[in-house]
Amino acid sequence: MTDKLLTLWVGSGLYNLSFGQAVMVLVGLVLLWLAIAKKFEPLLLVPIGFGGILANIPEAGLALSAAEQAAHLARPELLERMAATLQVNLDPAAGLETWRHTLSEVLHGDTSPALLRAANDAAMDGGYAHGMLYQFYSVAIASGIAPLVIFMGVGAMTDFGPLLANPRTLFLGAAAQFGIFATLLGAVGMSAMGWMDFSLNQAAAIGIIGGADGPTSIYVSSILAPELLGAIAVASYSYMALVPLIQPPIMRALTSLQEREITMTQLRPVSKLEKIVFPLSLLILVVLFLPDAAPLLGMFCFGNLMRECGVVERLSDTAQHALINIVTIFLGLSVGSKLMADRFLALETLGILALGMVAFAIGTACGILMAKLLNTVSKMPINPLIGSAGVSAVPMAARVSNKVGLESNPHNFLLMHAMGPNVAGVIGSAVAAGVMIKYLG
Amino acid sequence: MENAQLLNEGLALMALGMGFVFVFLTVLVIVTTLMSKFIGRFFPEPAAPLPATGRQSSAGRQDEDLVAVITAAVHRYRKRRRR
Repeated sequence: MTDKLLTLWVGSGLYNLSFGQAVMVLVGLVLLWLAIAKKFEPLLLVPIGFGGILANIPEAGLALSAAEQAAHLARPELLERMAATLQVNLDPAAGLETWRHTLSEVLHGDTSPALLRAANDAAMDGGYAHGMLYQFYSVAIASGIAPLVIFMGVGAMTDFGPLLANPRTLFLGAAAQFGIFATLLGAVGMSAMGWMDFSLNQAAAIGIIGGADGPTSIYVSSILAPELLGAIAVASYSYMALVPLIQPPIMRALTSLQEREITMTQLRPVSKLEKIVFPLSLLILVVLFLPDAAPLLGMFCFGNLMRECGVVERLSDTAQHALINIVTIFLGLSVGSKLMADRFLALETLGILALGMVAFAIGTACGILMAKLLNTVSKMPINPLIGSAGVSAVPMAARVSNKVGLESNPHNFLLMHAMGPNVAGVIGSAVAAGVMIKYLG
Repeated sequence: MENAQLLNEGLALMALGMGFVFVFLTVLVIVTTLMSKFIGRFFPEPAAPLPATGRQSSAGRQDEDLVAVITAAVHRYRKRRRR
């Protein structure tokens, strides 16, 4: 009788809950609280937070592959078979626990995908299956599909009118991408100083947080540094939610009251044909200059063309609403699966959070400085406040520009003017992502 | 030594990336401007159909002015309300 009670106790979550898992469940709850009580990007933080809790349920292994689960739970015979496929030697004298540990290390380390597949097959033969969240992750993120489908939806929601009416605002979107590369340098610098240990690929993936574009950061880190994806996605979406807190102080510090009061001239009307031709010309430029940005910008242009051409209302409507919602659910849960204690609770995560904040601040500042520069050279007045909208984060950043502008001059509506740099920022960060993937991928 | 190399790589990527983003968006600005000019010249938005007589035309224009003024006022009012 006591034996059976003991088995029940040993199999319970409470017995197996490690300290790290408990902390991560708390982190998941904090994310849920931020989303529900504070309305921080709830559409993403609710699935991410919940996925994070699911991923840390002890013994359930929802976020683990079949091989990882087997390494944790399987009988010695299966462990030996897996060790053979992975070409590892298990020391017969060391106990079962050491075997499990060695195998887990090998599975997490730099093992070739072919060996991992073989180990997974061995584990599946032994009756183990991939965890639910692991499946979601491999379908939605590891394949690159979810961020791209979201990008298509964003394209279908984007109105390029303000950008077409004043194409020079594209420069603001370009300048704000400086945040990406400055952060990359920061991450590399931290490793050089010996504080952290980031490779160049990881540094690049961290830098993309400065683009303030969730799908782009997830796409880039799934290619360049999948091991950091959880931290990067969480940092990127939390800072997008914090745009209204982070940006205004920087905007006020860099502009004078006089500059903030500048009223901009009314935008010219843009014809329908221009709006149809723009995504196509952008696509052609991508084809000509940067095929590596083709997945991101291609889907973006496709979504936008569906919106503007006016003959596929139904498709455009699906891309903007139903499809993007479905994909968001799986994207959020998959990102949550990367919040596993043993990988998320590391000093690196704090470094990523700090660097992400810096990336944001630098991007905002560069956008504003560029807008000041444009204002001095251009005939049309340009209010420097719209520069901060160059860090994508559509449409939050544009709303912030509008709000800060109204504080100085209650009759000055900058929203439409700020939408130009805002969508330019999306293009800019996708181009930056393409360059990174080309250089490092 | 390795650190210096990492830093150099980082700097190179930064220069390359930033340079490329600017070049790409500059080209995009030029292409977009040319495209808009081209479309504006060769495929202008179909103008409002011309009414037959002068009297009607002036009435039509007045109507249009009125509509424009009202639209602007409504737009402004809504914008202010939305805040």
